[in-house]
Amino acid sequence: MPFISKIQRQNDFNLFDSQTPIVIDNGASYFRIGWAGESEPRVVFRNIVQRPRHKVTGETVTIVGDHDPALLKYFDCTRSGPRSAFDSNVVYQFETMEYILDFGFDRMGANGMEIDHPVLITECACNPVQSRSKMAELLFETYGVPSIAFGVDVAFSYKYNQQQGVCAKDGLALCPGFTTTHVIPFVDGEPVYRGSCRTNIGGFHVTDYLKQLLSLKYPYHLAAFTWEKVEDLKMEHCYVAPDYLSEARLFQKGAKEAEEKTRCWQLPWVPPPTEEPPSEEEIARKAAIKEKQSQRLREMAEAKKSSKINELENELHALEFLLHQLDQVKESEVPSFLAETGYVSRLEIESERNKVMQSLRKVKGEPKNEQAEIEKADLAANEKYSLINIADDMLTQEQLNEKKKQLSLKSMAEGRQRLKQKRYEEELERERQQQLEEEKRLENPGLYLEQLLARYKDLSERVDQQKRLKTNGGHSNGNNLSGGVGRGERLNAAQRERMRLLTTAAFDRGKGEDTFGIRDEDWQLYKLMSKDYANDDDEEPDEDEAELTRISSRLQELDATFIPKSDVGFSQPAEVPRFKPLTKEDFQISLGVERFRCPEMLFSPNWIGVDQVGLDEMTGVSIRRLQFKDESLEERLTSSILVTGGSSLYPGIVERLEAGIRMIRPCGSPIKIVRALDPVMDAWRGAASFASDSQFHLQTFSRQDYYEKGEDWLRNYQLQYTL
Amino acid sequence: MSMKDKMEAEVVEAELVLPSYLSFKRVQMYEKYPKGQARGRHWKHLKQIIQAENYQNYPPDEPNYVNIESPPSIHPCKRICDITGFEAPYYDPRTNLRYANADVFKVIRSLPNEYVQRYLALRNAAIVLK
Repeated sequence: MPFISKIQRQNDFNLFDSQTPIVIDNGASYFRIGWAGESEPRVVFRNIVQRPRHKVTGETVTIVGDHDPALLKYFDCTRSGPRSAFDSNVVYQFETMEYILDFGFDRMGANGMEIDHPVLITECACNPVQSRSKMAELLFETYGVPSIAFGVDVAFSYKYNQQQGVCAKDGLALCPGFTTTHVIPFVDGEPVYRGSCRTNIGGFHVTDYLKQLLSLKYPYHLAAFTWEKVEDLKMEHCYVAPDYLSEARLFQKGAKEAEEKTRCWQLPWVPPPTEEPPSEEEIARKAAIKEKQSQRLREMAEAKKSSKINELENELHALEFLLHQLDQVKESEVPSFLAETGYVSRLEIESERNKVMQSLRKVKGEPKNEQAEIEKADLAANEKYSLINIADDMLTQEQLNEKKKQLSLKSMAEGRQRLKQKRYEEELERERQQQLEEEKRLENPGLYLEQLLARYKDLSERVDQQKRLKTNGGHSNGNNLSGGVGRGERLNAAQRERMRLLTTAAFDRGKGEDTFGIRDEDWQLYKLMSKDYANDDDEEPDEDEAELTRISSRLQELDATFIPKSDVGFSQPAEVPRFKPLTKEDFQISLGVERFRCPEMLFSPNWIGVDQVGLDEMTGVSIRRLQFKDESLEERLTSSILVTGGSSLYPGIVERLEAGIRMIRPCGSPIKIVRALDPVMDAWRGAASFASDSQFHLQTFSRQDYYEKGEDWLRNYQLQYTL
Repeated sequence: MSMKDKMEAEVVEAELVLPSYLSFKRVQMYEKYPKGQARGRHWKHLKQIIQAENYQNYPPDEPNYVNIESPPSIHPCKRICDITGFEAPYYDPRTNLRYANADVFKVIRSLPNEYVQRYLALRNAAIVLK
């Protein structure tokens, strides 16, 4: 990672006399503080503040900068995200700013009663005066700083490079920063803000774009894409393509160069422990156990069966004996004899005996002679329904009742027969269909599978839709996120009906009294309105669902790779519950097009919805705004273009800029683009060398100046960069 | 500070926490922002700051924060596919997403609505109901 924090406490604060200015580069990404005249800032840290609660003591503490996440585990960081003092590139939150300054001065080793050094602090171009004055107040009042100077970081960077001979006195500075991108022309070594231009796109937006793209592409690994990690990825792998469209075409074609340019990030993954195939003895042992168990079960079944057979035989014998006795007994004594045994008539005994014989036969497992049974049944039926055929008027009252009973019995029995018949036919039908399907499958497995899959998909969609309709409309249409409740309830036909009933019942007709309730049937309305009733609709989807499950089980048999889609709800994305084990590939994140798609955003802010010009066009805008109408000046400007700022570190950005600027400048004009020596640190270095100049103190203003001259004067305060 | 005793040794070692008393400050943080008061002091955001600046009272050719902002682009916008990043001459009227070819189109049509909105939000084209 090219950006490193340096937060070691310095111990030589007192060695510097009170004339030595402290130089601060207050950037939206990093805060750099150091002494004037040195080449490196002493303390560097990320310009953010966190205020978590300590888990043990419960105190809210302040932590500035980014720290080792291992130490942060002692703090409850859930309610306190990292906060920045910046809104875009302007400081607006001075409480946070104060914490940052505290930390910065503290690490510099400050230990006196106040900070007794002039301070040079950077700000953004054309900083609003309110922000400036609050910053001045903060420094004067709270830290006791004697004098302050404000400067623009881009200008310092340019001046530094100019001193080093990288760029000329007249030129353009292009600075893609963390939150914004500036283009400032320099004439005679001084920035001309009238011609400057700012687009609200920076490194922050690029990282954010990359983070969102990756999260959408790999929703399964959402937790791995933290801001810091994505920033690392960006810094390591992103580059600017010389021509976006042709590069994209390479990837689209899947050319070999595209393969090489794709980088793969392997997330940590532990393969599940492979189950070894059980050894021979294991198998044999298991089989033996199973055998024994089944043997035991069989024996038990046998025992039960034999005992039942015995019982039934005994019963049969008893009944037959009874019948035999009955035959022998005299006619007149039949009723009394029967009363003892508990049977009412001979018929009953006989039917009882038949039943027992049947069950005996079933238990013994003899092949059921269906035909004989049916005949028997018919015979029995004829006996039972004997009364039906006799005409009505020939029967007595009892017999009429008897006949009615027999009629109902007969119709029931017939109904049952018909049902059985139908079921039998359906079975046959199903068997035939299955046979047909089998044949189809055998002759063309691929096509069959496809058709099945298509049907499955259709059905599942339909089922899902119906479910959706039932549960209050939810995601009916992308646009209504809040209006779901009212409309969704009425999409179903039954629910519409319910609504209608409710409204008509509640509608007060006005004239006359309310006659609702006079008739009993009125109250049935409530039954209709009740929600349970509305579940009438369940039958239809059930069929679909049944078929769905059937098809899915079929597909599972046939196709090893088929994964049934269980409806996990709509919060889950295209992720399917995986039945096949996760492979190593699933845990690889590949960065292909994203590598150059994200930095390209700097040139086309439209991709993010920011309606402003991109980096290459900004130079044209800037030159146009200068309105000098001086050809030679323009040429001088374009022949010394300095690219600085943290977001200019992408490989390939210089070539792309050159191509872009050449497009908008008149043909043949000289274009020379150079990169700053150190795009990240040069702003601080420039400021430090500026502050070490002997004339620096003339550029500062003191506390007295500020209070005497007031805000208006501060508004017009501008640093003069050429001393 | 007493707090330090209760904190874990390594936290104190690393000096992770900002001390509440700093000698070089004239006014300490706890004096400036007493604990009782609502911590979230209402600081003006950038939009409000700019409004309060009243730039319209000053000559328009004087550079200020607002008028150095860039204008919209004149060049025709390069249209790229929302999902893959390739060139995308087509867009789906139902979801408003741009796509490059038929395969991507299939993917788009199978995306749940949440994802469609997120892709659109990338482009700032999502419909936000406030």
